This record gives sequence, structure tokens and C-alpha cells, in this order.
Amino acid sequence: MKYQTTGHLRDEQIIWAVIDKQELSGEARQHLQVCEACNIKVEQFSGDLQDFGREARQAVPPFSGTVKLPAAKPSMGSHYGGWLPFFGAVAMAGLLMFFYFMGMQTVTPIQYTMLQQQENLLEDEALMREISEMVEYPLSDDIYRITGENGAGYDDDFLDFIVPGMQDDSQSELFI
Amino acid sequence: MKTVDNKDMSLKIVTLVENARNGNRLSFHELVSLFQEDIYRLAYFRTFSQMDAEDLTQDVFEQAYRKLATLNEPRRFRALLYSIAVNRCNDLLRKRKYTALLHRRNTEEQDFSTSDKNMNSCYGDRIDKKTFWKQVKLMLGKLSTMEREVFTLRFMDHRNINEIASILGKNESTVKTHLYRALNKIRAHAEFFKEHRELIS
Repeated sequence: MKYQTTGHLRDEQIIWAVIDKQELSGEARQHLQVCEACNIKVEQFSGDLQDFGREARQAVPPFSGTVKLPAAKPSMGSHYGGWLPFFGAVAMAGLLMFFYFMGMQTVTPIQYTMLQQQENLLEDEALMREISEMVEYPLSDDIYRITGENGAGYDDDFLDFIVPGMQDDSQSELFI
Repeated sequence: MKTVDNKDMSLKIVTLVENARNGNRLSFHELVSLFQEDIYRLAYFRTFSQMDAEDLTQDVFEQAYRKLATLNEPRRFRALLYSIAVNRCNDLLRKRKYTALLHRRNTEEQDFSTSDKNMNSCYGDRIDKKTFWKQVKLMLGKLSTMEREVFTLRFMDHRNINEIASILGKNESTVKTHLYRALNKIRAHAEFFKEHRELIS
């Protein structure tokens, strides 16, 4: 029951009448039964479409080939159709599991930056701890003397012995 | 009388389908001869090419033969056949669109020239047909995919609303709505129909 009507059928009602008369309201259907003008409109449009269809079918060139059937017998889909979805589902589940676990081990760039910052912080903490330990427990004087740190043992004579001066070099050349 | 004929035909189709499912190739060949022209025409109305329509007809029957075992209701064989055909045509048209994008070939010219090659008709008739198909293409081009599908099935393939719904997997109301929209647009081409009416008369 698409439309209510009082007079002649409107264009959209004519179209609905061509598609299916049952789609018209009762009133429109009754009108169509008695109104010749509306009936002519519906019949004409319907006839035009039928003629067009007929013309189209006649304008199709004839089928010149022959249909060849495949050699095999029609396959029984029940066996094929039963196992294939099952294997497909198993493979899909496996893939999903794989990607899920892969996803768990994957670190996003943000997570990576945070981890790096934490590592830097830990490194800084370790360095500070080492420094404070060195301040708290300095090396004894004996060790300084052995290692030569604090300037002990590195006097001018020792350095001249290690790196002779320019004057000494020219003298040695004269001897040669 | 017509209803009785239809009933007999349906019974015949059911018997042939059942025999074909049991491996009787002759029965399937009979089914092919029953529907070959319809399927070929359906393909031609969508592709406007004789060569493509013939290839598609072959494909459709091959696919139907393979799917025969999965068909639960033999009386739905016609719907199965049409459904395969519509889908295969849509696949081809989609493929053709991509190919046209790549090659920019003038399919229209090529298709009409190939479709005319086997026609034993005079030059004037060929021109008439060429003009007719050009106008049809123009008219169908104004419709959306669904409207075009429903219109073609209803008025060119002569299927009823119930069958169209079954072929397209839609309900009847949806089909009617699309058909209404299509006809609303088609009415604008009243001159086209008038010309044809005059030609026919």
C-alpha cells in the first residue's frame, strides 16, 4: 500500500502499477479498474518495456559456439566442503596465535624510548655510587707511592731520563 | 495452459538435474540446450560483446556442472544458473574496467565489430542494431548497478520479481524498490520508447 489517491493516478503510481498492482493502495487499485485513461497509461508503459525487451532479445547476435562440459563428474561437495573449512579454520587460528605472541614481544617506539631512559638512569645511578664510594674510601698513601699518582716519583730527573731534551740530542750527534 | 506448461517444464528440469547429479552427462547436455540461449543473452545484455558472452556462457555451465552436487533443491537450478551468470558478468565487467584503465582501448568499437561478424543482415539493419545498443547502453548507464541489474533481469531477461530476488539473494521488497527507481529514471527516456514503437509499427 504505497500511496493514497483521490483523482487519476500519479506518475509514481503508474510505475508501481507496472511493477506490481498489489503495491497500490486499495483506492488506487479500484480507480485503475474503472479509469480507462489511467489503464491506458499503465498498459502503454508496460507495453513499451515489453517491446523494448523483445527488441533487445531479437537484436542479440546468435550464439555460434557450443558448450563443452569438463571431463570430470560433478564433484561431491560434501567431502570437499567439510574438510576444507576445517583446515582453513585451524590455519587461521594458528596464524592468529602466532601474530598474538609475536605482538606480545614486539616493543613499540614509545616503549623503547622509555626503556632506554630507564637504562640511562640506572647507569647514572651506578656511576654516582662509584664516585661516592671513591670519596668515602680513598686509596692509601702507600698505593699512591707505588702507582706514582699524586706526582710522587715523577720528578724532573725521571722525566729527562724518559724524554731527553733537545740539547742532549745535539750532543749525542757530535759524539757520533 | 501456460501454467501447465511451466509446471511440466519445472518437473522436467528437476528430473534432468537429479539425473545429472548422478553422473548422467546427457541430462546435463539437455539442461545446457534448454538454458544456453537465455544465459548467452543475459551475458550479452551486460557485456555487449558476442565473444565475451560466448565465453561467459561456457564458464557458467562449467561452474554449474561443478556445483551441481551442492545444489540441495533441484528446482532452484535455474536460479543457480542465473546467479552464477550474473556474478561472472560482474567479474568480467570489473576486470574490463581495470583493463580499460591500463590500455585505454576503445572497447565499444571492438565489441560492436565482433558482434556483427556473424550476422547475416544487411548494412542498414546492422546500423539500426548498433544505434539500438548504443541507446540501450546510454539508458542503462543512467542507472546504478543494482537498478541496472534488476531492470535487465525483469525486462530484458524476462524474470519475475520472485526469481530476481532469488537470483540476487535479496528480498522482494528490495527488488521492487530498485525496480521503481530504475523505471522512474527510464521514463525520462520516453522518446526512446516512442521511436521504437514507431519503428515496430
